[in-house]
Amino acid sequence: MNSLMTHPNPRQKFVLQGIALVILGAVFFPVWNVLKKTHVSDVPISSVARVPDPLSNLFNDLYFFLSISFLAILLGVTCAFYLQEWLPETNWVRRLVENQVSILSGIPSLLYGLLAVLIFLPYSGVIQKIETVSSDGNVGAASLKATVFQGDTTLFYAMLLTFVILVMPRVIKTTQAALRSVPMPIRESAYALGASRSQVLMKHVVPIAFPLILAGGCRAMSCAFATAALFIGVCIWSHAPQSGQMTGGFVLFLGGSLILSILSSFLIERYSPVPTRNT
Amino acid sequence: MKNMHTNGNNGSQTTPIIEISDLKVHYGDKSALNGISFDVYKNEILGIIGPAQSGKTTLLKVINRTLEFTSQTSIEGSVKLDGVDISTIGDVYGLRRRIGMVLPLPVGLPLSIYDNVAFAPRTAGVRAKSELNEIVERCLQQAALWDEVKDRLDTLGTKLSGGQQQRLTIARALSHQPEILCLDEFSIAVDPVTTMRIEDVLDTLRTEMTILLVTNLVQQAKRLADRTAFMLNGDLVEIDTTDVIFSDNPANQATYDYVNGNFG
Repeated sequence: MNSLMTHPNPRQKFVLQGIALVILGAVFFPVWNVLKKTHVSDVPISSVARVPDPLSNLFNDLYFFLSISFLAILLGVTCAFYLQEWLPETNWVRRLVENQVSILSGIPSLLYGLLAVLIFLPYSGVIQKIETVSSDGNVGAASLKATVFQGDTTLFYAMLLTFVILVMPRVIKTTQAALRSVPMPIRESAYALGASRSQVLMKHVVPIAFPLILAGGCRAMSCAFATAALFIGVCIWSHAPQSGQMTGGFVLFLGGSLILSILSSFLIERYSPVPTRNT
Repeated sequence: MKNMHTNGNNGSQTTPIIEISDLKVHYGDKSALNGISFDVYKNEILGIIGPAQSGKTTLLKVINRTLEFTSQTSIEGSVKLDGVDISTIGDVYGLRRRIGMVLPLPVGLPLSIYDNVAFAPRTAGVRAKSELNEIVERCLQQAALWDEVKDRLDTLGTKLSGGQQQRLTIARALSHQPEILCLDEFSIAVDPVTTMRIEDVLDTLRTEMTILLVTNLVQQAKRLADRTAFMLNGDLVEIDTTDVIFSDNPANQATYDYVNGNFG
């Protein structure tokens, strides 16, 4: 009963957070090693800039982007539900994951963008493919895209990975906060009426928490969109866009980011549960 | 295990429906109940009085097993419902349906008035519309709310006034026809007139079910309860017929002081 996990004193909490930091360090150390060996010439911004015309097939791109985001958010929400609703507060896995999540969600999204461009893209093998295809000269945008997206799934995985580590901690954190914000008396009175855990969850907790979960998802997506917009912008400005076609993507992501952040603020403002008088 | 008390006002109250023996509850290192034992008889109103922090709410939560949602609690001792230890009951949802619970402050579930009352029957598997209508009307009438809300059953339950919401929670607690009704300081958020109306309701219910009435208003216990228990700092100081507790010579001096407002 009186173990480390049920009653951590401040010193034990400190130790737990230390363990969380060490694990995080252990994950990032190899990443740092890779980063050290990456030469500036490897950085594929020029290649990214040459991916032509994201607006030529706008809806396909949007579909692609949104499906990835949907997957990442779904994963995050599922994790948060599992942590918050199924694992007891004293579970050590939950404590460790929560520590990690709060560290990860505090890292600026720009750094995740850098991670994607500097690590995932060069090492996903996709860049080489773009280079070979582009060196052929006049290759139509459509066929290039077909090669990149449909012929090879590596880019999909690189994007998915970036999205997951950028979006997931934020979504987990906001979803947990949303679930916690559902007043305890509501759960208690529903349980007292003989409702099962899933009935309480589906009929009371989720409907109340849903706008806030959505707001968290929107906010995380807004971060991701803003980062994407920034990198696309850097590509344009550093590579004198002859075509000007990338501007479409820039505007798309920047606008998307703005709209999503406004939407999330609106949702939070409108649907935050009023603090109940009950304890 | 216990002798048959004949503390009740009449002979029908000698069958114990709840038997609590040596119940201890700890929140972390803090003790909330330090080993209390008593029986609750069928179809009686048992008033439970005592100052804050005396373990009254904890006791009710142990009985309908909602204390399990509070982390870091440990429960020792046994609570038997009709002779069955409640911690061994597999169907905890069924157990909670046998016990109605009304919380101190009205908690309207975020549903319409109709759905609030129909929630428990629905979870118990009642689907027929006519049957649900009947249950909703009966419960709202029992809780003295029917006349005020019968024309707007589909408005949100949370839109009602405090007193109406509290009566709604009573209607909801009655909707699954519990054998035991636990009321936890129901009159905190309710005006005196409504309180009296609810007390009348409880008075009519005493023939149908056992009522555990936790209250801060000692006069309320005096008005309603057949027997009264006085709790203090997690101990059961005294349990006896209401007449004895409110007489000039209860067994314990602390009881006399509390009941007469000389406490602290």
